[in-house]
Amino acid sequence: MHRIFIVATSEFLTLVRTKAFLIGVFMMPVFVGGSIALQKITMERPDTERRSFAVIDMTGVLYEPLARAAEVWNRVATSPAGTPVAGTFDPSRVDLAGRPAEVVRLELSDRVRRGEIFAFVEIPASVLDPQVDAPIRYYSNHPAHEALPRFLEEMLAREIVNRRFEAASLDRAMVDQLTRTPPVDSLGLVERSGTGITQAAGVDKLRTFAIPGAFMLAMFLLVMTSSPQLLNSVIEEKMSRISEVLVASVTPFQLMMGKLLGSVAVSLLLGFIYLSGGYALAAYWGYGGVLTPGLVIAFLFYLVLAVLLFGSMFIAIGAACTDLKDAQNMMTPAMILVMFPLFMWVAVLRAPDSGLALAISLFPPSTPFIMLLRIALQPPPPLWQILLSAILVGVTVVLAVWAAGRIFRAGLLLHGKAATPREMLRWITTG
Amino acid sequence: MQTACAIRITDVTKRFGSVVAVDCLSLEVPAGSIYGFIGPNGSGKTTTIRMILNILLPDEGVIEVLGSRETRAARDRVGYLPEERGLYKKMTVRRLLRYYGRLKGRGAAEVDREANRWLKTFDLSAWADRRVEALSKGMAQKVQFIASVVSNPELVILDEPFSGLDPVNADVLKDAVLQLRASGKTIVFSTHDMAAAERMCDRIFMIFRGRKVLDGAIEEIQAFYALDTVRVRIDGGAALLRRLPYVESVNDHGRLQEVRLTGDPQQFLARLTSETTVHHFEVTRPSLHDIFIRIARPTGEGEPSLFG
Repeated sequence: MHRIFIVATSEFLTLVRTKAFLIGVFMMPVFVGGSIALQKITMERPDTERRSFAVIDMTGVLYEPLARAAEVWNRVATSPAGTPVAGTFDPSRVDLAGRPAEVVRLELSDRVRRGEIFAFVEIPASVLDPQVDAPIRYYSNHPAHEALPRFLEEMLAREIVNRRFEAASLDRAMVDQLTRTPPVDSLGLVERSGTGITQAAGVDKLRTFAIPGAFMLAMFLLVMTSSPQLLNSVIEEKMSRISEVLVASVTPFQLMMGKLLGSVAVSLLLGFIYLSGGYALAAYWGYGGVLTPGLVIAFLFYLVLAVLLFGSMFIAIGAACTDLKDAQNMMTPAMILVMFPLFMWVAVLRAPDSGLALAISLFPPSTPFIMLLRIALQPPPPLWQILLSAILVGVTVVLAVWAAGRIFRAGLLLHGKAATPREMLRWITTG
Repeated sequence: MQTACAIRITDVTKRFGSVVAVDCLSLEVPAGSIYGFIGPNGSGKTTTIRMILNILLPDEGVIEVLGSRETRAARDRVGYLPEERGLYKKMTVRRLLRYYGRLKGRGAAEVDREANRWLKTFDLSAWADRRVEALSKGMAQKVQFIASVVSNPELVILDEPFSGLDPVNADVLKDAVLQLRASGKTIVFSTHDMAAAERMCDRIFMIFRGRKVLDGAIEEIQAFYALDTVRVRIDGGAALLRRLPYVESVNDHGRLQEVRLTGDPQQFLARLTSETTVHHFEVTRPSLHDIFIRIARPTGEGEPSLFG
């Protein structure tokens, strides 16, 4: 046990000096600070550009209301002190004057290219006719810009629908009232409290989806920063023949356990950093309460199991390979296994109590990610499922460590050719 | 009469699949001696060393190290320098030595004390806090040697300790090995450098195709192989020699010829004086190199040896 501790300490000290660990540590404050700063910047410095655009109005009646709407918009978008708080719009009318539409479109496109105008919009004559499906065409070389097309869509739609109602001699206000439908408010459950009954709280999308997702993602990052490092460590020792000296001092199993435990210690350290950072971020947004002790315990528990499970997998691969190139090929199946929960988590998020979610969360390699996700989600899984998953993944970890120990022992002194999966299987079964 | 054995190998066989790497080997390494392991590549040297270190287990037979059959129990008292060298590149020399020493169950303070002493011996004290990757090749090799003795082991096993060292460093290392022996340690080293083995080793063990072909004190071995080789300088040279009876082969060095005989050197000398003028006649002790080559020459099965 003492030797395992010495190996683990050395492994820990080596791992916390690696770039992967430093990146892992720095990602957290960068992420937390970055997201707060980004939010501040976007709140304080919105897009306040003045966008001029041309309008080809074939209906002959829509340009005036659009220009008036732009005026109102621009007034609202300018603070009383005269500084713009949002982007403003500057429309100008373009007449075809007998020229073919093609020619005018090309001419306007050139003006956009030269930067004289930001975009142009073409309103077909039939747009007012409710029987005809005629789209309004918006031309621009800034496809990602959203404010102007959204403004056009909203303003023109309102004006066009108004005109259709007028043409049909209907009262728009009356129709709006009659067709108004009641919304569905998504609430939690009413609970008993000491004095009476507390009101049900509204469902919070962030709390429901983003936070469980963040937990799972953090778990994934932690496993990815610690486990594959073990493969590098084993290969380095094999290639430089250090392993030969090491197994002359300790048993291969002690060596492997030391490595695994060192890696677990590193991931726990990172885990604490992530949890504290996550807590700071959550508290900043007013969600300090989501980090319940139960969730923290589940997180650390599954983290230890995941690192042991994937760590022993990567150690076995490292021991069976003789250089990094072989290892890269053999790593692929293990990587797919690590990534698998990432492909499935959205389905679990949508229906945490479905049969699929249960199956994935009981599949041992996915359990640490998906069961954690389910524990963080509402409704939480029943206790028997949590216990069953813990037993299943626990047994799998013991088997994986045992099998990896056998592969490690056999592969450690292997040089030259990488072992085939069949050979690895033989090492496991025959020892 | 014999002092205690550091290593006692009894009827050990090790197979890898259908290949017999070590075949019914028995060997005793007395405590306090320098024992040379020689043999061509792939003859079973490293396998034998790995079995002594409990890295590999023998299929048959018993290995006793430092009085313990459970070689695992003895391994804290054994130091090992493997043939192919490597160290953790990113570790500092001090941390690396401390790690290796502590893996042998020694306390950090004790290891540091030993490490400092050896670093001083090898003139490496200034490098103690540098990373291994900053060291030159020769320095790294010396650090690796220190790593194998930093736990103050009773038995030190060195696999090709001199390979790749320049003459100056090889001398420093040789002195270190002799110093270890003077302090009562047992040293086993394998080498291809026959001259070094001949100079340093009390006893030599040679393994060839998994079998022991030589084992004994240098003088014994040389005495066994000596009688049938003479070194002569005569009028007529190699051409004349090749015509004479009893001559098995002539190794022509120009002015001198080395002759291997099938008969008695005295009879050969009598015949020689009757044929020509003899300027020099010497019954030689063949060098270990010659013996090695004779046993392990690539053609034929080699010679019948001490263990026929």
